[in-house]
Amino acid sequence: MEVEVNDNDLKAAGAELLSAGRRGLRINGWEVESRKCSILNSSTVQLWEQKLETSHLPEMEALPPVEVPAAAKWKFRSKPSQQVILDYDYTFTTPYCGSETIEMSENKHEIGDISDGTYNLQWENCNEKIDVAALESKEPILFYDEVVLFEDELADNGVSLLTVKVRVMPSCWFLLLRFWLRVDGVLMRLRDTRMQCIFGDNTNPIILRESCWREETFQALSAKGYPSDSAAYNDPGVISQRLPIIKHKTQKLKVPSNL
Amino acid sequence: MSDLDRQIEQLKKCEPLKESEVKALCLKAMEILVEESNVQRVDAPVTICGDIHGQFYDMKELFKVGGDCPKTNYLFLGDFVDRGFYSVETFLLLLALKVRYPDRITLIRGNHESRQITQVYGFYDECLRKYGSVNVWRYCTDIFDYLSLSALIENRIFSVHGGLSPAISTLDQIRTIDRKQEVPHDGAMCDLLWSDPEDIVDGWGLSPRGAGFLFGGSVVTSFNHSNNIDYICRAHQLVMEGYKWMFNNQIVTVWSAPNYCYRCGNVAAILELDENLDKQFRVFDAAPQESRGAPAKKPAPDYFL
Repeated sequence: MEVEVNDNDLKAAGAELLSAGRRGLRINGWEVESRKCSILNSSTVQLWEQKLETSHLPEMEALPPVEVPAAAKWKFRSKPSQQVILDYDYTFTTPYCGSETIEMSENKHEIGDISDGTYNLQWENCNEKIDVAALESKEPILFYDEVVLFEDELADNGVSLLTVKVRVMPSCWFLLLRFWLRVDGVLMRLRDTRMQCIFGDNTNPIILRESCWREETFQALSAKGYPSDSAAYNDPGVISQRLPIIKHKTQKLKVPSNL
Repeated sequence: MSDLDRQIEQLKKCEPLKESEVKALCLKAMEILVEESNVQRVDAPVTICGDIHGQFYDMKELFKVGGDCPKTNYLFLGDFVDRGFYSVETFLLLLALKVRYPDRITLIRGNHESRQITQVYGFYDECLRKYGSVNVWRYCTDIFDYLSLSALIENRIFSVHGGLSPAISTLDQIRTIDRKQEVPHDGAMCDLLWSDPEDIVDGWGLSPRGAGFLFGGSVVTSFNHSNNIDYICRAHQLVMEGYKWMFNNQIVTVWSAPNYCYRCGNVAAILELDENLDKQFRVFDAAPQESRGAPAKKPAPDYFL
Protein backbone atom coordinates (compact mmCIF):
# COMPACT_ATOMS: atom_id res chain seq x y z
CA MET A 1 0.00 0.00 0.00
CA GLU A 2 2.45 2.62 -1.21
CA VAL A 3 1.21 6.14 -0.77
CA GLU A 4 2.55 9.19 -2.52
CA VAL A 5 4.13 11.48 0.04
CA ASN A 6 5.15 15.01 -0.77
CA ASP A 7 8.90 15.55 -0.19
CA ASN A 8 8.27 19.14 0.87
CA ASP A 9 5.83 17.99 3.55
CA LEU A 10 8.44 15.59 4.90
CA LYS A 11 11.14 18.25 4.89
CA ALA A 12 8.92 20.84 6.55
CA ALA A 13 8.11 18.37 9.33
CA GLY A 14 11.76 17.43 9.80
CA ALA A 15 10.97 13.83 8.89
CA GLU A 16 12.96 11.38 6.81
CA LEU A 17 11.84 8.14 5.22
CA LEU A 18 13.57 4.94 6.26
CA SER A 19 16.00 3.60 3.71
CA ALA A 20 17.08 0.17 2.47
CA GLY A 21 13.63 -1.00 1.46
CA ARG A 22 12.14 -0.43 4.91
CA ARG A 23 8.71 1.18 5.10
CA GLY A 24 8.40 4.00 7.55
CA LEU A 25 9.95 7.22 8.70
CA ARG A 26 11.80 9.05 11.45
CA ILE A 27 10.19 12.09 12.99
CA ASN A 28 10.71 13.98 16.29
CA GLY A 29 12.82 11.19 17.76
CA TRP A 30 10.32 8.50 16.72
CA GLU A 31 10.93 5.74 14.26
CA VAL A 32 7.74 4.33 12.77
CA GLU A 33 8.04 1.21 10.66
CA SER A 34 5.63 -1.32 9.17
CA ARG A 35 6.54 -4.78 7.97
CA LYS A 36 4.55 -7.25 5.91
CA CYS A 37 5.26 -10.87 5.11
CA SER A 38 3.28 -13.60 3.39
CA ILE A 39 1.08 -15.95 5.40
CA LEU A 40 2.76 -18.90 7.12
CA ASN A 41 3.50 -22.01 5.10
CA SER A 42 2.31 -25.44 6.23
CA SER A 43 5.38 -26.32 8.26
CA THR A 44 5.53 -22.99 10.11
CA VAL A 45 1.81 -23.23 10.80
CA GLN A 46 2.43 -26.60 12.41
CA LEU A 47 5.30 -25.17 14.42
CA TRP A 48 3.18 -22.31 15.75
CA GLU A 49 0.23 -24.56 16.49
CA GLN A 50 2.50 -26.67 18.66
CA LYS A 51 4.03 -23.61 20.28
CA LEU A 52 0.62 -22.13 21.05
CA GLU A 53 -0.92 -25.47 21.92
CA THR A 54 -3.86 -25.10 19.59
CA SER A 55 -5.13 -27.20 16.73
CA HIS A 56 -6.03 -24.09 14.77
CA LEU A 57 -4.29 -20.77 14.42
CA PRO A 58 -4.82 -18.04 15.42
CA GLU A 59 -4.99 -18.56 19.17
CA MET A 60 -7.74 -16.97 21.17
CA GLU A 61 -9.35 -16.59 24.59
CA ALA A 62 -12.24 -18.66 25.86
CA LEU A 63 -15.67 -17.26 25.12
CA PRO A 64 -19.18 -18.63 25.11
CA PRO A 65 -19.48 -20.58 21.87
CA VAL A 66 -21.07 -18.81 18.93
CA GLU A 67 -22.95 -21.01 16.54
CA VAL A 68 -23.85 -20.27 12.96
CA PRO A 69 -27.58 -20.24 12.09
CA ALA A 70 -27.49 -23.65 10.44
CA ALA A 71 -26.16 -25.24 13.65
CA ALA A 72 -29.53 -26.13 15.16
CA LYS A 73 -30.47 -28.15 12.11
CA TRP A 74 -27.09 -29.80 12.06
CA LYS A 75 -27.29 -30.94 15.66
CA PHE A 76 -30.51 -32.67 14.90
CA ARG A 77 -28.83 -34.31 11.96
CA SER A 78 -25.61 -35.45 13.57
CA LYS A 79 -25.41 -38.78 15.29
CA PRO A 80 -24.10 -38.93 18.85
CA SER A 81 -20.79 -40.22 17.51
CA GLN A 82 -20.39 -37.02 15.56
CA GLN A 83 -19.51 -34.73 18.36
CA VAL A 84 -17.92 -31.34 18.05
CA ILE A 85 -14.37 -32.45 18.40
CA LEU A 86 -12.54 -29.24 17.69
CA ASP A 87 -12.88 -27.08 20.76
CA TYR A 88 -11.10 -23.96 19.58
CA ASP A 89 -12.93 -20.64 19.30
CA TYR A 90 -13.40 -20.46 15.56
CA THR A 91 -14.26 -16.75 15.82
CA PHE A 92 -10.67 -16.02 16.86
CA THR A 93 -11.86 -13.27 19.18
CA THR A 94 -8.90 -11.62 20.85
CA PRO A 95 -8.42 -9.07 23.63
CA TYR A 96 -5.04 -8.14 22.12
CA CYS A 97 -4.38 -4.42 22.23
CA GLY A 98 -0.75 -4.19 21.24
CA SER A 99 2.52 -5.21 22.81
CA GLU A 100 5.30 -3.07 24.15
CA THR A 101 8.90 -4.05 24.59
CA ILE A 102 11.99 -2.22 25.64
CA GLU A 103 15.02 -2.51 23.46
CA MET A 104 18.15 -1.67 25.39
CA SER A 105 21.02 0.10 23.78
CA GLU A 106 24.37 -1.64 24.37
CA ASN A 107 25.46 0.77 27.15
CA LYS A 108 22.30 0.59 29.18
CA HIS A 109 22.35 -3.15 28.91
CA GLU A 110 25.61 -3.23 30.84
CA ILE A 111 24.59 -0.73 33.50
CA GLY A 112 20.96 -1.59 34.21
CA ASP A 113 19.55 -4.83 35.47
CA ILE A 114 16.56 -5.70 33.34
CA SER A 115 15.50 -8.64 35.43
CA ASP A 116 14.56 -6.54 38.46
CA GLY A 117 11.54 -5.14 36.62
CA THR A 118 12.71 -1.54 36.80
CA TYR A 119 12.10 -1.17 33.13
CA ASN A 120 8.53 -2.42 32.93
CA LEU A 121 6.23 -0.36 30.79
CA GLN A 122 2.79 0.01 32.27
CA TRP A 123 -0.55 1.34 31.14
CA GLU A 124 -2.45 3.41 33.73
CA ASN A 125 -6.07 4.44 33.51
CA CYS A 126 -6.38 8.16 32.87
CA ASN A 127 -8.90 10.92 32.19
CA GLU A 128 -7.17 12.40 29.19
CA LYS A 129 -8.76 11.69 25.85
CA ILE A 130 -7.37 11.10 22.41
CA ASP A 131 -7.35 14.44 20.59
CA VAL A 132 -9.90 13.81 17.86
CA ALA A 133 -9.85 17.42 16.65
CA ALA A 134 -6.14 17.10 15.87
CA LEU A 135 -6.89 13.94 13.92
CA GLU A 136 -9.72 15.55 11.99
CA SER A 137 -7.57 18.44 10.76
CA LYS A 138 -6.42 17.54 7.29
CA GLU A 139 -2.71 18.07 7.85
CA PRO A 140 -0.58 16.09 5.41
CA ILE A 141 -0.11 12.39 6.06
CA LEU A 142 3.63 11.68 5.98
CA PHE A 143 3.34 7.93 6.41
CA TYR A 144 0.38 5.60 6.13
CA ASP A 145 0.05 1.85 6.12
CA GLU A 146 -2.34 -0.93 6.93
CA VAL A 147 -1.27 -4.43 7.95
CA VAL A 148 -3.55 -7.45 8.26
CA LEU A 149 -2.42 -9.40 11.32
CA PHE A 150 -4.82 -12.28 10.84
CA GLU A 151 -7.90 -13.03 8.87
CA ASP A 152 -10.35 -15.89 8.68
CA GLU A 153 -13.37 -16.29 6.46
CA LEU A 154 -15.11 -18.55 8.98
CA ALA A 155 -15.65 -20.96 6.09
CA ASP A 156 -17.87 -18.35 4.44
CA ASN A 157 -19.91 -17.74 7.55
CA GLY A 158 -18.63 -14.21 8.00
CA VAL A 159 -15.28 -12.70 8.80
CA SER A 160 -12.76 -12.50 11.62
CA LEU A 161 -10.12 -9.89 10.98
CA LEU A 162 -7.39 -8.20 12.99
CA THR A 163 -5.77 -5.24 11.27
CA VAL A 164 -3.64 -2.31 12.27
CA LYS A 165 -3.60 1.04 10.48
CA VAL A 166 -1.06 3.75 11.14
CA ARG A 167 -0.72 7.34 10.01
CA VAL A 168 1.92 9.88 10.89
CA MET A 169 1.30 13.62 10.52
CA PRO A 170 3.58 16.58 11.31
CA SER A 171 1.87 16.96 14.72
CA CYS A 172 1.27 13.38 15.89
CA TRP A 173 1.16 9.69 15.13
CA PHE A 174 -2.01 7.68 15.39
CA LEU A 175 -2.80 4.01 15.06
CA LEU A 176 -5.91 1.91 15.07
CA LEU A 177 -5.81 -1.78 15.90
CA ARG A 178 -9.18 -3.28 14.99
CA PHE A 179 -10.64 -6.71 15.64
CA TRP A 180 -13.73 -7.18 13.50
CA LEU A 181 -15.97 -10.21 13.72
CA ARG A 182 -19.15 -10.86 11.83
CA VAL A 183 -20.81 -14.23 12.19
CA ASP A 184 -23.49 -13.98 9.53
CA GLY A 185 -26.98 -13.94 10.97
CA VAL A 186 -25.67 -14.14 14.53
CA LEU A 187 -23.52 -11.32 15.85
CA MET A 188 -20.87 -8.70 15.28
CA ARG A 189 -17.97 -7.72 17.50
CA LEU A 190 -15.77 -4.71 17.08
CA ARG A 191 -12.79 -4.20 19.36
CA ASP A 192 -10.90 -1.03 18.58
CA THR A 193 -7.66 0.08 20.17
CA ARG A 194 -6.55 3.58 19.26
CA MET A 195 -3.16 4.99 20.17
CA GLN A 196 -1.98 8.53 19.76
CA CYS A 197 1.09 10.55 20.59
CA ILE A 198 1.12 14.29 20.00
CA PHE A 199 4.65 15.45 19.34
CA GLY A 200 5.98 17.89 21.88
CA ASP A 201 8.07 16.94 24.87
CA ASN A 202 10.55 14.48 23.43
CA THR A 203 11.85 13.33 26.79
CA ASN A 204 8.43 12.59 28.30
CA PRO A 205 6.13 11.78 25.44
CA ILE A 206 2.48 11.23 26.30
CA ILE A 207 1.09 8.12 24.67
CA LEU A 208 -2.62 7.52 25.05
CA ARG A 209 -4.44 4.30 24.38
CA GLU A 210 -8.20 4.03 24.12
CA SER A 211 -9.98 0.70 23.91
CA CYS A 212 -13.56 0.48 22.82
CA TRP A 213 -15.42 -2.82 22.56
CA ARG A 214 -18.74 -2.99 20.78
CA GLU A 215 -21.02 -5.96 20.23
CA GLU A 216 -24.53 -6.65 19.00
CA THR A 217 -26.57 -9.55 17.68
CA PHE A 218 -28.26 -9.46 14.29
CA GLN A 219 -31.50 -10.14 16.08
CA ALA A 220 -31.17 -7.02 18.24
CA LEU A 221 -30.22 -4.90 15.23
CA SER A 222 -33.21 -6.13 13.35
CA ALA A 223 -35.45 -5.32 16.33
CA LYS A 224 -34.13 -1.76 16.21
CA GLY A 225 -35.12 -1.52 12.56
CA TYR A 226 -31.64 -1.86 11.10
CA PRO A 227 -31.03 -4.19 8.17
CA SER A 228 -30.15 -7.73 9.19
CA ASP A 229 -28.52 -8.98 6.00
CA SER A 230 -24.77 -9.44 6.17
CA ALA A 231 -24.15 -7.48 2.98
CA ALA A 232 -25.09 -4.31 4.93
CA TYR A 233 -22.23 -4.96 7.35
CA ASN A 234 -19.14 -5.20 5.23
CA ASP A 235 -17.45 -2.07 6.52
CA PRO A 236 -17.14 -1.82 10.31
CA GLY A 237 -16.11 1.83 10.01
CA VAL A 238 -19.51 2.73 8.60
CA ILE A 239 -21.75 0.80 10.95
CA SER A 240 -19.79 0.91 14.22
CA GLN A 241 -22.22 3.43 15.77
CA ARG A 242 -25.01 0.88 15.54
CA LEU A 243 -23.17 -1.48 17.83
CA PRO A 244 -23.54 -0.56 21.50
CA ILE A 245 -20.38 -0.07 23.56
CA ILE A 246 -19.82 -2.82 26.10
CA LYS A 247 -16.43 -1.73 27.37
CA HIS A 248 -14.42 1.45 27.14
CA LYS A 249 -11.27 2.79 28.77
CA THR A 250 -8.44 5.23 28.16
CA GLN A 251 -4.94 4.64 29.43
CA LYS A 252 -1.63 6.41 29.44
CA LEU A 253 1.71 4.70 28.98
CA LYS A 254 3.92 5.00 32.02
CA VAL A 255 7.54 5.03 30.96
CA PRO A 256 9.99 4.40 33.81
CA SER A 257 11.94 7.59 34.49
CA ASN A 258 15.30 5.85 34.48
CA LEU A 259 15.00 4.93 30.80
CA MET B 1 -14.98 -16.36 -36.99
CA SER B 2 -18.13 -17.40 -35.17
CA ASP B 3 -19.77 -15.19 -32.56
CA LEU B 4 -18.66 -17.61 -29.89
CA ASP B 5 -15.02 -17.56 -30.99
CA ARG B 6 -15.13 -13.78 -31.06
CA GLN B 7 -16.61 -13.74 -27.56
CA ILE B 8 -13.88 -16.05 -26.32
CA GLU B 9 -11.21 -13.75 -27.77
CA GLN B 10 -12.90 -10.78 -26.13
CA LEU B 11 -13.13 -12.52 -22.76
CA LYS B 12 -9.48 -13.53 -22.97
CA LYS B 13 -8.70 -9.81 -22.98
CA CYS B 14 -10.76 -9.54 -19.79
CA GLU B 15 -13.52 -7.59 -21.54
CA PRO B 16 -16.98 -8.62 -20.37
CA LEU B 17 -19.75 -9.56 -22.82
CA LYS B 18 -22.93 -7.60 -23.41
CA GLU B 19 -25.89 -8.57 -21.25
CA SER B 20 -27.75 -10.03 -24.24
CA GLU B 21 -24.70 -12.13 -25.13
CA VAL B 22 -24.47 -13.44 -21.57
CA LYS B 23 -28.11 -14.45 -21.70
CA ALA B 24 -27.61 -16.36 -24.96
CA LEU B 25 -24.42 -17.99 -23.72
CA CYS B 26 -26.09 -19.17 -20.53
CA LEU B 27 -28.98 -20.69 -22.48
CA LYS B 28 -26.54 -22.70 -24.62
CA ALA B 29 -24.52 -23.74 -21.58
CA MET B 30 -27.68 -24.92 -19.85
CA GLU B 31 -28.46 -27.30 -22.71
CA ILE B 32 -25.02 -28.88 -22.33
CA LEU B 33 -24.84 -28.98 -18.54
CA VAL B 34 -28.29 -30.44 -18.06
CA GLU B 35 -27.11 -33.60 -19.82
CA GLU B 36 -24.15 -34.08 -17.48
CA SER B 37 -24.20 -36.55 -14.63
CA ASN B 38 -23.77 -35.61 -10.97
CA VAL B 39 -20.62 -37.72 -11.23
CA GLN B 40 -19.38 -36.55 -14.60
CA ARG B 41 -17.05 -38.98 -16.40
CA VAL B 42 -13.75 -37.45 -17.44
CA ASP B 43 -11.06 -39.04 -19.63
CA ALA B 44 -7.33 -38.72 -19.10
CA PRO B 45 -5.13 -36.91 -19.90
CA VAL B 46 -6.66 -34.10 -17.90
CA THR B 47 -5.46 -31.12 -15.88
CA ILE B 48 -7.26 -30.51 -12.59
CA CYS B 49 -7.64 -26.97 -11.22
CA GLY B 50 -8.85 -25.77 -7.84
CA ASP B 51 -10.37 -22.46 -6.70
CA ILE B 52 -9.95 -19.43 -9.00
CA HIS B 53 -12.11 -16.81 -7.19
CA GLY B 54 -12.29 -14.19 -9.90
CA GLN B 55 -8.53 -13.77 -10.17
CA PHE B 56 -8.72 -13.49 -13.95
CA TYR B 57 -5.11 -12.56 -14.65
CA ASP B 58 -3.89 -15.39 -12.45
CA MET B 59 -6.12 -17.79 -14.38
CA LYS B 60 -4.37 -16.60 -17.54
CA GLU B 61 -1.11 -17.62 -15.84
CA LEU B 62 -2.74 -20.99 -15.18
CA PHE B 63 -3.48 -21.42 -18.89
CA LYS B 64 0.09 -20.37 -19.71
CA VAL B 65 1.40 -23.10 -17.43
CA GLY B 66 -1.17 -25.77 -18.31
CA GLY B 67 -1.72 -24.97 -21.99
CA ASP B 68 -4.76 -23.58 -23.78
CA CYS B 69 -8.15 -25.25 -23.95
CA PRO B 70 -8.97 -27.28 -26.12
CA LYS B 71 -5.39 -28.49 -26.56
CA THR B 72 -5.35 -29.33 -22.86
CA ASN B 73 -8.35 -31.10 -21.36
CA TYR B 74 -9.40 -29.30 -18.14
CA LEU B 75 -11.36 -30.11 -15.02
CA PHE B 76 -12.17 -27.12 -12.78
CA LEU B 77 -13.32 -27.94 -9.26
CA GLY B 78 -15.51 -24.87 -8.68
CA ASP B 79 -15.28 -21.54 -6.84
CA PHE B 80 -14.82 -19.56 -10.04
CA VAL B 81 -16.33 -16.42 -8.54
CA ASP B 82 -16.22 -14.08 -5.49
CA ARG B 83 -13.35 -12.28 -3.72
CA GLY B 84 -11.25 -11.41 -6.81
CA PHE B 85 -11.90 -8.37 -9.03
CA TYR B 86 -12.95 -10.23 -12.20
CA SER B 87 -15.51 -12.90 -11.31
CA VAL B 88 -17.67 -11.93 -14.31
CA GLU B 89 -14.91 -12.30 -16.90
CA THR B 90 -13.50 -15.41 -15.22
CA PHE B 91 -16.77 -17.32 -15.11
CA LEU B 92 -17.91 -16.22 -18.56
CA LEU B 93 -14.62 -17.26 -20.16
CA LEU B 94 -14.84 -20.71 -18.58
CA LEU B 95 -18.49 -20.99 -19.58
CA ALA B 96 -17.78 -19.89 -23.16
CA LEU B 97 -15.01 -22.49 -23.39
CA LYS B 98 -17.45 -25.08 -22.07
CA VAL B 99 -19.99 -24.22 -24.76
CA ARG B 100 -17.33 -24.16 -27.48
CA TYR B 101 -15.45 -27.31 -26.41
CA PRO B 102 -17.87 -29.29 -24.21
CA ASP B 103 -15.69 -32.42 -24.18
CA ARG B 104 -12.45 -30.58 -23.37
CA ILE B 105 -13.44 -28.74 -20.23
CA THR B 106 -15.47 -29.88 -17.23
CA LEU B 107 -16.79 -27.41 -14.67
CA ILE B 108 -18.14 -28.66 -11.38
CA ARG B 109 -19.84 -26.65 -8.67
CA GLY B 110 -18.12 -25.04 -5.70
CA ASN B 111 -19.80 -23.65 -2.60
CA HIS B 112 -19.42 -20.13 -4.01
CA GLU B 113 -21.55 -21.01 -7.02
CA SER B 114 -24.60 -20.09 -4.99
CA ARG B 115 -27.04 -17.17 -4.89
CA GLN B 116 -26.66 -16.68 -1.18
CA ILE B 117 -22.86 -16.76 -0.99
CA THR B 118 -22.28 -14.53 -4.03
CA GLN B 119 -24.43 -11.83 -2.48
CA VAL B 120 -22.02 -11.55 0.41
CA TYR B 121 -18.63 -12.22 -1.17
CA GLY B 122 -18.48 -10.02 -4.23
CA PHE B 123 -19.95 -11.55 -7.41
CA TYR B 124 -23.36 -9.91 -6.97
CA ASP B 125 -21.83 -6.47 -6.38
CA GLU B 126 -19.46 -6.91 -9.31
CA CYS B 127 -22.35 -7.73 -11.70
CA LEU B 128 -24.30 -4.75 -10.44
CA ARG B 129 -21.27 -2.48 -10.90
CA LYS B 130 -20.33 -3.73 -14.35
CA TYR B 131 -23.84 -4.01 -15.84
CA GLY B 132 -25.93 -1.59 -13.79
CA SER B 133 -28.45 -4.34 -13.08
CA VAL B 134 -28.49 -7.78 -11.52
CA ASN B 135 -29.66 -9.58 -14.67
CA VAL B 136 -26.24 -11.04 -15.43
CA TRP B 137 -25.98 -12.26 -11.84
CA ARG B 138 -29.37 -13.96 -12.31
CA TYR B 139 -28.36 -15.67 -15.57
CA CYS B 140 -25.11 -16.90 -14.02
CA THR B 141 -26.60 -18.11 -10.75
CA ASP B 142 -29.30 -19.95 -12.72
CA ILE B 143 -26.48 -21.72 -14.59
CA PHE B 144 -24.80 -22.59 -11.27
CA ASP B 145 -27.77 -24.85 -10.48
CA TYR B 146 -26.93 -26.95 -13.54
CA LEU B 147 -23.24 -27.48 -12.78
CA SER B 148 -22.29 -31.05 -11.99
CA LEU B 149 -21.37 -31.93 -8.39
CA SER B 150 -18.34 -34.14 -8.97
CA ALA B 151 -16.23 -35.89 -11.58
CA LEU B 152 -14.73 -39.33 -11.97
CA ILE B 153 -11.50 -39.60 -13.94
CA GLU B 154 -11.04 -42.95 -15.71
CA ASN B 155 -13.07 -44.55 -12.90
CA ARG B 156 -10.08 -44.14 -10.61
CA ILE B 157 -9.91 -40.59 -9.29
CA PHE B 158 -12.91 -38.97 -7.65
CA SER B 159 -13.00 -35.16 -7.83
CA VAL B 160 -15.23 -32.86 -5.83
CA HIS B 161 -15.05 -29.29 -4.55
CA GLY B 162 -15.26 -29.84 -0.79
CA GLY B 163 -15.26 -33.46 0.29
CA LEU B 164 -17.30 -36.39 1.51
CA SER B 165 -20.64 -36.65 3.27
CA PRO B 166 -21.83 -39.01 6.01
CA ALA B 167 -24.94 -39.47 3.89
CA ILE B 168 -22.91 -40.79 0.96
CA SER B 169 -20.99 -44.02 0.82
CA THR B 170 -21.25 -44.86 -2.88
CA LEU B 171 -20.96 -42.87 -6.09
CA ASP B 172 -24.42 -44.13 -7.05
CA GLN B 173 -25.86 -42.24 -4.08
CA ILE B 174 -24.40 -39.05 -5.53
CA ARG B 175 -25.92 -39.89 -8.90
CA THR B 176 -29.40 -39.86 -7.42
CA ILE B 177 -29.21 -36.32 -5.97
CA ASP B 178 -31.51 -33.81 -7.65
CA ARG B 179 -28.85 -31.13 -8.09
CA LYS B 180 -30.81 -28.48 -9.97
CA GLN B 181 -31.34 -26.19 -7.02
CA GLU B 182 -29.63 -23.60 -4.84
CA VAL B 183 -26.97 -25.22 -2.62
CA PRO B 184 -28.96 -26.40 0.43
CA HIS B 185 -27.89 -25.63 4.02
CA ASP B 186 -27.48 -29.29 4.86
CA GLY B 187 -27.64 -32.73 3.32
CA ALA B 188 -25.44 -34.64 0.91
CA MET B 189 -25.24 -31.96 -1.76
CA CYS B 190 -24.22 -29.36 0.80
CA ASP B 191 -21.53 -31.65 2.24
CA LEU B 192 -19.92 -32.40 -1.12
CA LEU B 193 -19.39 -28.68 -1.63
CA TRP B 194 -18.50 -27.71 1.93
CA SER B 195 -16.81 -30.44 3.97
CA ASP B 196 -13.10 -30.60 4.82
CA PRO B 197 -10.62 -33.37 5.63
CA GLU B 198 -9.15 -32.93 9.11
CA ASP B 199 -6.07 -34.59 10.55
CA ILE B 200 -7.16 -34.71 14.16
CA VAL B 201 -10.60 -36.15 13.49
CA ASP B 202 -11.17 -39.85 13.45
CA GLY B 203 -14.31 -40.68 11.51
CA TRP B 204 -16.73 -37.78 11.29
CA GLY B 205 -16.52 -34.50 13.17
CA LEU B 206 -18.67 -31.43 13.30
CA SER B 207 -17.03 -28.07 12.85
CA PRO B 208 -16.95 -25.82 15.96
CA ARG B 209 -19.19 -23.45 14.00
CA GLY B 210 -21.95 -25.98 14.59
CA ALA B 211 -22.39 -26.70 10.87
CA GLY B 212 -20.13 -28.33 8.31
CA PHE B 213 -18.62 -31.78 8.49
CA LEU B 214 -14.98 -32.74 8.96
CA PHE B 215 -13.80 -36.16 7.94
CA GLY B 216 -10.77 -38.15 8.98
CA GLY B 217 -8.50 -40.67 7.30
CA SER B 218 -10.61 -43.74 8.05
CA VAL B 219 -13.60 -42.21 6.24
CA VAL B 220 -11.48 -41.61 3.15
CA THR B 221 -9.99 -45.10 3.28
CA SER B 222 -13.37 -46.75 3.39
CA PHE B 223 -14.87 -44.48 0.69
CA ASN B 224 -11.95 -45.09 -1.67
CA HIS B 225 -12.09 -48.80 -1.02
CA SER B 226 -15.81 -49.28 -1.52
CA ASN B 227 -15.81 -47.19 -4.69
CA ASN B 228 -12.63 -48.73 -6.00
CA ILE B 229 -10.83 -45.44 -6.51
CA ASP B 230 -7.16 -44.53 -6.06
CA TYR B 231 -7.60 -41.18 -4.39
CA ILE B 232 -9.82 -38.11 -4.04
CA CYS B 233 -8.88 -34.77 -5.55
CA ARG B 234 -10.59 -31.72 -4.01
CA ALA B 235 -10.12 -27.95 -3.63
CA HIS B 236 -11.92 -25.58 -1.21
CA GLN B 237 -9.09 -24.84 1.22
CA LEU B 238 -6.17 -22.48 0.74
CA VAL B 239 -2.85 -24.31 0.79
CA MET B 240 0.30 -22.21 0.89
CA GLU B 241 2.22 -24.63 -1.32
CA GLY B 242 -0.58 -24.95 -3.92
CA TYR B 243 -1.34 -28.61 -3.15
CA LYS B 244 -1.35 -30.87 -0.14
CA TRP B 245 -1.67 -34.63 0.31
CA MET B 246 -3.36 -36.05 3.38
CA PHE B 247 -4.00 -39.45 4.91
CA ASN B 248 -1.19 -41.34 3.13
CA ASN B 249 -1.90 -39.94 -0.31
CA GLN B 250 -5.57 -40.87 -0.20
CA ILE B 251 -6.77 -37.30 -0.76
CA VAL B 252 -5.15 -34.24 -2.26
CA THR B 253 -6.15 -30.59 -2.06
CA VAL B 254 -5.40 -28.49 -5.14
CA TRP B 255 -5.53 -24.70 -4.87
CA SER B 256 -5.25 -22.56 -8.01
CA ALA B 257 -5.56 -18.96 -6.80
CA PRO B 258 -2.00 -17.61 -6.31
CA ASN B 259 -1.58 -14.72 -3.87
CA TYR B 260 -5.18 -15.34 -2.80
CA CYS B 261 -7.23 -12.17 -2.31
CA TYR B 262 -4.15 -10.36 -3.69
CA ARG B 263 -2.44 -10.50 -0.31
CA CYS B 264 -1.85 -14.04 1.01
CA GLY B 265 1.47 -14.55 -0.78
CA ASN B 266 0.77 -18.23 -1.55
CA VAL B 267 1.68 -20.09 -4.73
CA ALA B 268 -0.94 -22.02 -6.73
CA ALA B 269 -0.94 -25.43 -8.36
CA ILE B 270 -2.68 -27.54 -10.97
CA LEU B 271 -2.50 -31.30 -11.22
CA GLU B 272 -1.68 -32.77 -14.61
CA LEU B 273 -2.61 -36.41 -15.21
CA ASP B 274 -1.28 -38.05 -18.34
CA GLU B 275 -2.94 -40.91 -20.23
CA ASN B 276 -1.54 -43.37 -17.66
CA LEU B 277 -2.78 -41.17 -14.80
CA ASP B 278 0.80 -40.34 -13.85
CA LYS B 279 0.74 -37.19 -11.78
CA GLN B 280 2.60 -33.95 -12.15
CA PHE B 281 1.86 -30.89 -10.07
CA ARG B 282 2.59 -27.61 -11.80
CA VAL B 283 3.13 -24.80 -9.33
CA PHE B 284 2.76 -21.18 -10.44
CA ASP B 285 2.88 -17.64 -9.09
CA ALA B 286 0.48 -14.73 -9.43
CA ALA B 287 0.54 -12.72 -12.65
CA PRO B 288 3.10 -9.93 -12.55
CA GLN B 289 1.59 -6.59 -11.58
CA GLU B 290 2.27 -4.97 -14.97
CA SER B 291 0.30 -7.62 -16.87
CA ARG B 292 -2.84 -7.10 -14.87
CA GLY B 293 -4.31 -4.39 -17.07
CA ALA B 294 -6.11 -2.55 -14.36
CA PRO B 295 -3.86 -0.50 -12.08
CA ALA B 296 -2.98 -1.93 -8.71
CA LYS B 297 -5.31 -0.94 -5.93
CA LYS B 298 -3.68 2.14 -4.43
CA PRO B 299 -5.87 3.61 -1.75
CA ALA B 300 -5.32 7.24 -0.91
CA PRO B 301 -4.01 7.96 2.58
CA ASP B 302 -7.00 7.47 4.73
CA TYR B 303 -7.80 9.92 7.53
CA PHE B 304 -9.14 7.07 9.64
CA LEU B 305 -10.25 7.80 13.18
